[in-house]
Amino acid sequence: MATTPTVFLLMMSGQIEGGDFPEFDDLYVKYNFVYGPDWVITSGLEEGISQVCKKNVYGNQYFVWNFPLDVTFKSTNPYGWPQLVLSVYGLDAFGTAVARGYGAVHIPITPGRHSRIVPMFVPEASSRFQKFLGWFMGRRPEYVDTNVVARGEGREVTRVRSQGSIKCQFNIISRDMKKLGYDATPNTMTTPNGVSSLPSSSAPGAGASAEPSSNRDGDHS
Amino acid sequence: MAEVHVIGQILGASGFPNQNLYCKWKLHTGGAWKVIAGAREGQTQVDLPQNENFAVWSHPIDIHFATKGLQGWPKLKFEVYHQDEFGRNELYGYGFCHLPTSPGTHDIQCPTWRPSGTFREQVSQYFIGGAPQLRNADMVQSAERYTLQTVAMGKVHCQLGIILKNFDKYGVEC
Repeated sequence: MATTPTVFLLMMSGQIEGGDFPEFDDLYVKYNFVYGPDWVITSGLEEGISQVCKKNVYGNQYFVWNFPLDVTFKSTNPYGWPQLVLSVYGLDAFGTAVARGYGAVHIPITPGRHSRIVPMFVPEASSRFQKFLGWFMGRRPEYVDTNVVARGEGREVTRVRSQGSIKCQFNIISRDMKKLGYDATPNTMTTPNGVSSLPSSSAPGAGASAEPSSNRDGDHS
Repeated sequence: MAEVHVIGQILGASGFPNQNLYCKWKLHTGGAWKVIAGAREGQTQVDLPQNENFAVWSHPIDIHFATKGLQGWPKLKFEVYHQDEFGRNELYGYGFCHLPTSPGTHDIQCPTWRPSGTFREQVSQYFIGGAPQLRNADMVQSAERYTLQTVAMGKVHCQLGIILKNFDKYGVEC
């Protein structure tokens, strides 16, 4: 081994598969990533915007975007783990784009394939007068900065209405997490004498090897 | 020092008698635990679901702990409130759950309960609203509750990822 690494890499590939918004049509999705100060995108697109999709009226009334996500992050610290922020917009009767849903999800922390169903919501008007005005002018309330859905502070003042959901697929590969001392799954953890914490039937003394997998085939006592 | 990262979301709540719910949450730890970064407590948005009986909070949690000992492993405490059409808030449930000790992603459903109060209080709550609350909210995560009369309420759903650092270096098996 040459040098000890100082950063770990997180490679995420996946897609925004589709969504379920029964009462709307002609929807498109915007996505972007929100992450902490120690995180950097080394490759891939930080934000994107999908095609406008009409729902499948013959079968399950489901929207399909099939929109690719492909990005690699680099960080020294898991704090500020990246979140995928999704916002759905649709066209109303006058042809203006109206927010139909906002949502956020953390990128899965464990390597492997994951699917997530992200529930979506829209902000509600803060007063009855505003609500009437919004109805009258044909403008629904929306977030000025969509990234508020990825932040926990200041949420106590917002009232929302949840409607619909989006399905996403993620494939996660991480690199050098264990070398920096981080364990995101139980199978990377080792016991003091170097034996894997998974059940293994090695003889006493065989656990001196450092690699957890190398004593799996060595029980010939 | 060994470190713990908690990364996830309070997804929402289900099984409550009314909608328009929000939740106050707090992470309680023992004395050996120190927060390095991230919020230890917070309050979610108020959600009125359109279609389903599931309040969506999607409230992100990202917190970094450092610890010198295992005593007092973090607990997540919830207080669920209902906001009625006049903007009044009434308590709908207390609950707590321990954070999982093994690394990885965990789906957690935390059941909740509320104090039922006397018959008179129940009648007045039915007609004019307002629910009894605990005078000392620390009772939620304490084991001394034998004087309380309670009612079962809905569930809070969480998805939490746990990342541990240097636990195996100190010989801790999680």
